[in-house]
Amino acid sequence: MSQLSTITETLISGDGEALQKLVQEALDAGIPANTILNDALISGMDIVGAKMECGDMFIPEVLMAAQAMSESVEILKPLLADGQSSVVGKVIIGTVKGDLHDIGKNLVKMMLESAGFEIIDLGVDISPEDFVKAIIDNKPDIVGLSALLTTTMPMMKKSIQTIEESGLRKNLKIIVGGAPVNQAFADEIGADGYAPDAGAASKLAKSLLQQ
Amino acid sequence: MYDRMQELHSDQMTKIHDASMAILQKTGIVVNEEEALAIFKKHGYRVENKTVFPTEQQIRGALASAPATFTVEARNPAKSVAIGGDNFAFLPGYGAPYVIDGQGTQREARMEDYDTFCRLIQTSKYIDMNGWMMVEPSDMPAATVHLDMTLSNILLCDKPFMGSPVSRQGAIDGIEMAAIAWGGKDRIVEKPVTVSLINSLSPLQFSEEMAGSLIELARHGQATVIASLIMAGASGPVTLAGVLAMQNAEILTGLALAQLVRPGVPVIYGSTSSAMDMKTGALSIGAPELSKNINYTAQMARFYNLPSRSGGGLTDALYPDAQAGAESALALYTAARNGINFVLHAAGILGSYIAMSFEKFLIDEEVCGMVRRMLKPIDITDESIDVEMICKVGPGGQYLTNPKTFKLCRTEFFLPDLMSRSNYDAWSAAGKKKINEIADNKLTQRLAKYEKPDIDAGIEKDLTEYVNRRKQG
Repeated sequence: MSQLSTITETLISGDGEALQKLVQEALDAGIPANTILNDALISGMDIVGAKMECGDMFIPEVLMAAQAMSESVEILKPLLADGQSSVVGKVIIGTVKGDLHDIGKNLVKMMLESAGFEIIDLGVDISPEDFVKAIIDNKPDIVGLSALLTTTMPMMKKSIQTIEESGLRKNLKIIVGGAPVNQAFADEIGADGYAPDAGAASKLAKSLLQQ
Repeated sequence: MYDRMQELHSDQMTKIHDASMAILQKTGIVVNEEEALAIFKKHGYRVENKTVFPTEQQIRGALASAPATFTVEARNPAKSVAIGGDNFAFLPGYGAPYVIDGQGTQREARMEDYDTFCRLIQTSKYIDMNGWMMVEPSDMPAATVHLDMTLSNILLCDKPFMGSPVSRQGAIDGIEMAAIAWGGKDRIVEKPVTVSLINSLSPLQFSEEMAGSLIELARHGQATVIASLIMAGASGPVTLAGVLAMQNAEILTGLALAQLVRPGVPVIYGSTSSAMDMKTGALSIGAPELSKNINYTAQMARFYNLPSRSGGGLTDALYPDAQAGAESALALYTAARNGINFVLHAAGILGSYIAMSFEKFLIDEEVCGMVRRMLKPIDITDESIDVEMICKVGPGGQYLTNPKTFKLCRTEFFLPDLMSRSNYDAWSAAGKKKINEIADNKLTQRLAKYEKPDIDAGIEKDLTEYVNRRKQG
């Protein structure tokens, strides 16, 4: 099993090339793909998440680990049996209409990806109607709305209303975030969750799917 | 003069300039505004889709027409403010959605908070100019709140004020209202009566709202700050040298647009770029990197012979505590001392721009007074040295009963309103009050002293009617 712990350590160090090599070697040695995924990579990202939370790992280091993780998951994907998904849930994410800021949104996207979510990133300046269309097309578990400007915060409310009016709110969780957003605002506009930073967003998404 | 902080040499500034020119030529700047693109094209700039590629020659042409100094005229001409050169002006915080109160509780800002800040600025000894959107009132409709804020700026305070850059229409409303107050557009087009804050959208973009506002403001002769706020390591390079090259490319492109619209219109070179906190991803404006960039901004603006904007009483702290005091004073002093001309956010801001605090406004304001006093040169004259007096008092004498001390005891030194100079017993007997508590106590007294400045009744009526008409239609 030391092969798996080496994979975990390499993942945490963020060395993508070395990680892919190790994953391939583990497969060649006969370790099943889902064992590598669950017991080395996903468990490794759990450690990364915990280290980020206590400030031991910095965001660029976390993102490097997340990128290394995604590359290695690509190797494993074709080898996973039916029903063994590498995806824990599907998330649509976008910055609401009128707002072109996307640094925070991209950060959340990368953190969610590294936690095993499949992300559909709609980009910036996304109208409520475009969110609705994307929900119909992709059937996500979670929709993430981002805004940096206080002037576009009301658009979050409008987006949630439009999604509700389209009858798509059932079986769907909506989470919101952005510098001026807070829990009180999230409650007021009827969002299912709010997280103050990208690390917390990933935790929030996981906990919402367990509900 | 020796100064450890004036770190850039002219060859280094040239290197930054050259890097900015290379960025503009190779990658260009995306400008999400149709008319702006048409203006660039009309003047021979290379435009591909929404990307503008200014050449060095075009940038130099724009710089040639931008003034080094200008005056923002106040409704009360005695309060007009000179921008550029050796002058510096302090302005209040800008853009905060929340107020954090004396108990440390955050709440949404309201219109009455906005008006209170206007009254504090009107009665301030040290804040030279009124701002705009000191807080964003949440109790007014978002589509028209710029009208209410502009009306309060004009009616509640007679110092010069900042303009409304929320959108092209928002800018036009601000211009129309200023025209009413000054008796016609022709009265304001030749001399700015407002300065508006235009931000780039880093990396290397301008939004439709900002570019549209910039065009209208420049067209009507109103001054703008073209400012970049790069989060180093997130929306721009992780090294400050890279940040300098990138923000310079953004600012100069904005400046070029303003000069194409109206050659000679005043533009202030602005930046408050700082570090991203690598543990949380949040912007840090209490960081030493912010203060370093304040000096670089001042130096680069002087390199181009432009007025500059940066700094202020900036902090990441969420309460007017020791962290807030230390960070704010460092950033404020760094700005004033290094030659920044337009010091926005000089008073009131907390929590990386998230909130304003009335208590912190009063504390910062006092620091503004101290900084202004620190930077005011003393007289070196026979009278101010007074060798004769020193010899007369002689060794072992005292100066307390000297007539000169008596004459100057109220004016020679800075007199604090808030900072404690008590000894332990006196401080203890008065309840061991901290400065934020003292500020809280002073707030009511200060507002009680406020008097609404005079304004022609007809102008007030016309302004109010304009706002009402715009709200209805």
